[in-house]
Amino acid sequence: MTVSTEITKKEETLPGLTRNIPVVAPVVDIYENDDEILLHADMPGVTKNDIEIKVDNGNLEISGVRTLKTSGAVNWVEFGEIDYRRTFSVPQTIDIEKVNAELKDGVLRLHLPKSESAKPRQIEIH
Amino acid sequence: MWTRVGDIDRMLGTMDLLRSRMNRLFTDYDRSYGEDYGWRITRETPRTNLYDNGDKLEITAEVPGLLKENLNIKIQGNYLEVSGTRKADAPEGYKTHRAEREAGSFTRSFTLPCDIDVDKVEASLDNGILALTLPKAEEVKPKQVTVK
Repeated sequence: MTVSTEITKKEETLPGLTRNIPVVAPVVDIYENDDEILLHADMPGVTKNDIEIKVDNGNLEISGVRTLKTSGAVNWVEFGEIDYRRTFSVPQTIDIEKVNAELKDGVLRLHLPKSESAKPRQIEIH
Repeated sequence: MWTRVGDIDRMLGTMDLLRSRMNRLFTDYDRSYGEDYGWRITRETPRTNLYDNGDKLEITAEVPGLLKENLNIKIQGNYLEVSGTRKADAPEGYKTHRAEREAGSFTRSFTLPCDIDVDKVEASLDNGILALTLPKAEEVKPKQVTVK
């Protein structure tokens, strides 16, 4: 009886995608005033270059991959590499051109300004 | 027997994939869920990792939104205590649609696997991750023994 072992070579063309890291939704706070919608998301460990914000057809997708540099023997591990990803529906009244974001201390702050026509207006009675 | 390991590994991989999909599925229904296997668990203390690098220990903790003024670190021998306060960062004059991020204070204490050289401890805060480098005390450091 012979046991045949085949060695197949796997080509990793997209290492970022083939690596199996868990996808989770970051926790967010959403605020709104007359001028804008403001979104705060906790994404500890994600650097600016690894964050992607896409606004498409009324959908806002924020995503960020956290890579960790570790060395040595593990005593305990409670968090690891993670792919933060979450999609929101945004009203059409958002001025996509003016959307801006800042990342500070692991918190993403996303400003979604409302377009001029969507801002509430006071109508005066003559 | 060992030829089956690959199958088991593949099965576990599939389960991980399923879990990832489920995690995203919940957000599709517009609910708020955190990291813990898709279910939101109120974590009172930040998650930490501890690595042993021979002559030093490295501990990292997730502390998004905390400034260094908000953190307090105490070490004595092999006892480490990390405490902190996260202030609510809700802006003035906005109405709140969703508030999943929690504010409040935490204290977490650890018994480290060995004594620490307290004077040489270094702490850094980068992108919401607190990293502590804890050099081991001289008497517990690994020693090289040369054979005569």
